[in-house]
Amino acid sequence: MSEPALVLDDVTYRYEEAESDALAGVRLSVAAGEWVGVVGPTNAGKSTLCLAAMGLAPHFFGGRLRGAVRVFGSDSLTVPVPERSADVGLLFQNPFTQLSGARERVDEEIGFGPECHGVAPAEVDERVADAMRLVGLEDLAGRHPLDLSGGQLQRLALAGLLAMRPRLLLLDEPTSQLDPAGTEAIFDVLTALHERGTTIVLVEHRLELLCEVCPRVIAMAGGRVLADGAPERVFNDEAVLAEAGAPAYCRLARAAGLPPPWPVRLDDAVAAFGGRRA
Amino acid sequence: MPEVRLDGVRFSYPGGADVYPEPGLSLSLDGGAVALVGENGAGKTTLTKLLNGLLRPRAGSVRVAGVDVTGRSAAAMAPVVGYAFQNPDDQLFERTVRAEVSFGPRALGRPPAEVGPAVERALQRCGLGGREDVHPHDLGLSERKWVAIASALAADPPVVVLDEPTLGQDHRSRQRLAALVATLAGEERLVLVVTHDMDFVAEACPTAVVLTRGTVRFTGPTADAFADEALVAEAGLRTPHVTRLARALGLGPCVTEADLLEGWTVA
Repeated sequence: MSEPALVLDDVTYRYEEAESDALAGVRLSVAAGEWVGVVGPTNAGKSTLCLAAMGLAPHFFGGRLRGAVRVFGSDSLTVPVPERSADVGLLFQNPFTQLSGARERVDEEIGFGPECHGVAPAEVDERVADAMRLVGLEDLAGRHPLDLSGGQLQRLALAGLLAMRPRLLLLDEPTSQLDPAGTEAIFDVLTALHERGTTIVLVEHRLELLCEVCPRVIAMAGGRVLADGAPERVFNDEAVLAEAGAPAYCRLARAAGLPPPWPVRLDDAVAAFGGRRA
Repeated sequence: MPEVRLDGVRFSYPGGADVYPEPGLSLSLDGGAVALVGENGAGKTTLTKLLNGLLRPRAGSVRVAGVDVTGRSAAAMAPVVGYAFQNPDDQLFERTVRAEVSFGPRALGRPPAEVGPAVERALQRCGLGGREDVHPHDLGLSERKWVAIASALAADPPVVVLDEPTLGQDHRSRQRLAALVATLAGEERLVLVVTHDMDFVAEACPTAVVLTRGTVRFTGPTADAFADEALVAEAGLRTPHVTRLARALGLGPCVTEADLLEGWTVA
């Protein structure tokens, strides 16, 4: 049996000068090849979970981390972030944060990561071309990163990660600035990566979308894990619904007074509502 | 009512193609909550920046609430059009939330006795009570978006533009936003919501403007827009979840949760 991609073993983390814990006794394990969604209200600890998995908390942000974070078996406290970035890609909520600031063309920006890791130039070129094709940026290869729109910047940030060929992707609202077609294109890419064995941890507020793609959902609030399991189970938990909200179909079924289990996907909703009427 | 009138508007960014092709963009809006939807690059944000003088048309005219925008600076338009940017960091620069939200009305020379209560009301409406003394950059993205919205409201403008307001917002925040949009619309303002969030459009905006490649393809009731499958496909929209379920259940056209529940109960 292979090592889990990510383990948080009773992790409590507090940012420097913060008055409360951002993560409080979090225990979870993500097997290699899983696709896990993470939901919860603002300040639930979702982004901090990603930062801890990447090692940026505490290596970059300081603060105090208790418990252990293990990525593919190695303890994050002992692995510097640059080394970790060969295996793990973190997409920040704000794609602007992701830019190197050192490259003036989209294609060079995408190649920046592999270059810094000493990947041979011919392979860098191949990875850049591959990543641009995946996210649909081929036509913008020569543009300056700062001239891109929010949605284009988000695709650039993802392409930069893909060029590193990470085994674990941590995505913090990866398509928040994209239109529906752009969002679907990115989710097609993620689905293909998942099928090729990439482990994905996805923070997403659009719960309907999440329920379509993630076989497993972790709901957080106040730095703790509230529920962890299949979406139809997690979104039938009152504490989760109060904190993280409900996917539209679940919310409608509850409002209509239908008995649980409440549906999280369209076909289940049709069965729940239709069956009730007949 | 704070009407917006665009007539034959042409615009292009330096070195870029025309955003609005011949014969230019024409659009007429009165008050209420109006969604501005369409694909990335359709010209949505450009349109809103033409309303407050941040961008100037090459040809055509833009009038907002009786004011001819052409020839006026963005500063002169500030009391007319309140604008919350998609990325709040493009907008925030003061050291406290209160200073940030007060900046607009103070810069307009409003008397302190008027600024205080206006700022207080904007803060309360945006759920920022108790956060007045915090540095905006110590807040998370969601709260920074709310500071940007409060700043847009503080000068009490008849037109409010919210660019992707639901981005990064959790479910409580979305509910607050929907309630705020309804309140502002009820005060006879025009609230223009630029968004890709179809569920929010369905729930919060009774009127929709659909742009496709710089052309107004539709203006009218949101329910009619989503009922038109050809329009939804052509404009790159997606059918809201409520509408999908209503359709699958054979109910009439529904866009809000209340519509669906009512239709289902009757059926």
